[in-house]
Amino acid sequence: MAAWAERLAGVRGVLLDISGVLYDSGAGGGAAIAGSVEAVARLKRSPLKVRFCTNESQKSRRELVGLLQRLGFNISEGEVTAPAPATCQILKERGLRPHLLVHDGVRSEFDDIDVSNPNCVVIADAGESFSYKNMNRAFQVLMELENPVLISLGKGRYYKETSGLMLDVGAYMKALEYACGIEAEVVGKPSPEFFKSALQAIGVEAHQAVMIGDDIVGDVGGAQKCGMRALQVRTGKFRPSDEHHPEVKADGYVDNLAEAVDLLLQHMDK
Amino acid sequence: MAARRALKAVLVDLNGTLHIEDAAVPGAQEALKRLRAASVMVRFVTNTTKESKQDLLERLKKLEFDISEDEIFTSLTAARNLVEQKQVRPMLLIDDRALPDFTGVQTGDPNAVVIGLAPEHFHYQLLNQAFRLLLDGAPLIAIHKARYYKRKDGLALGPGPFVTALEYATDTKAIVVGKPEKTFFLEALRDTGCAPEEAVMIGDDCRDDVGGAQNTGMLGILVKTGKYRAADEEKINPPPYLTCESFPHAVDHILQNLL
Repeated sequence: MAAWAERLAGVRGVLLDISGVLYDSGAGGGAAIAGSVEAVARLKRSPLKVRFCTNESQKSRRELVGLLQRLGFNISEGEVTAPAPATCQILKERGLRPHLLVHDGVRSEFDDIDVSNPNCVVIADAGESFSYKNMNRAFQVLMELENPVLISLGKGRYYKETSGLMLDVGAYMKALEYACGIEAEVVGKPSPEFFKSALQAIGVEAHQAVMIGDDIVGDVGGAQKCGMRALQVRTGKFRPSDEHHPEVKADGYVDNLAEAVDLLLQHMDK
Repeated sequence: MAARRALKAVLVDLNGTLHIEDAAVPGAQEALKRLRAASVMVRFVTNTTKESKQDLLERLKKLEFDISEDEIFTSLTAARNLVEQKQVRPMLLIDDRALPDFTGVQTGDPNAVVIGLAPEHFHYQLLNQAFRLLLDGAPLIAIHKARYYKRKDGLALGPGPFVTALEYATDTKAIVVGKPEKTFFLEALRDTGCAPEEAVMIGDDCRDDVGGAQNTGMLGILVKTGKYRAADEEKINPPPYLTCESFPHAVDHILQNLL
């Protein structure tokens, strides 16, 4: 592999995944990952543009940001690209009224949306709310629609909480796809529109940006497909086999965000 | 028509073929007696995931069928056989009524997952537990992958979608043991000592009973009872060896042509 200086040349902006990079969610709000609070502070002090690019869909942006601030992070709502607002825009543009298969924590993101007489299903990371009863209701709604539309906030397989790995929205999305014989539309990483909107928010072009994430396919692979560079951290949902993924080769593998930021600040063009 | 074969075993589907719910197919008890007199081995096979062999036996005895427990082979039996073969300790995501068929199987400190139709177990916490076992390398054994089934209040999710969820999350494939999988038919024949080419399957489900059996090298006889619908026989390729009115007609054909 080329030297770090070469790999990180010309970087002007950084997209940061949240879960697994900044912190691990869990009981009592979760825990910050060692070195991440300081790493974010250093990035903010540098000339690099920073955007948080997350698939978090169990909590509202306000709840998420509040939690992260309490853990010591320098972050505000306006700096976060998240899937719920993007989904609302799509629903409004297409006249879609959703049956929501979501955790109560994110419902407030849909306050402006007409949910009467649903003509589609929106599925997010519902966590404990992925009961058989709730899944069945969503399934029945889809089966009764002449044109069944299923919108999924991300399609992750699993993520890390402090207690261990947890099934993510992607698994339940696949369950409904299989049951109904349909294909979901994914809003959030790794969809290119999502990455593009994050880049637009900081006015940086893909070839000048680097994504830092813990999901080798959703974060790293997805970002690379958009023309960005991407670093894989060994925190969060990372598993050693990710370093030998058959399809995705990260531009670099680092222990954590702190190491990533060290390298970035060392090698970015001054 | 196929050449005469040395037939040694007959597999018979239960619900829809030998009986329809709680009523025997007319003439079926007598037809079974005639089949037994011809000294072929008989096995009764079904895809149930929530009735133990005891439950099935009780119903059949009430309908005056002369059947013994060790002639019954269900998809639960297939799952149990596989668990024993692999020498694993399963986490059982199956209906409570199916548990008797796993008596004697070690389930403490599980290193495998067996999943059937069990809505009461498909909540997040339990599925997450199963997911973590699978990620650690435990095999996933699925009784079948039905997408949904009919309940009084409408359609309801079957085990298939949840098996798919676990497969996707762990990037692994389940071993499916129920009809129409080859494993099911091979396992059903195992203790008869017969090869598939020496056996015939009688059933009312064209794809799962007849198609599955023929794929394994058996002959398949489709009966027009139970879930049969007109022109079902056109839905598989190759078509059933024989399509006939009911189980007694199938037995007549076997006695006259295949022995």
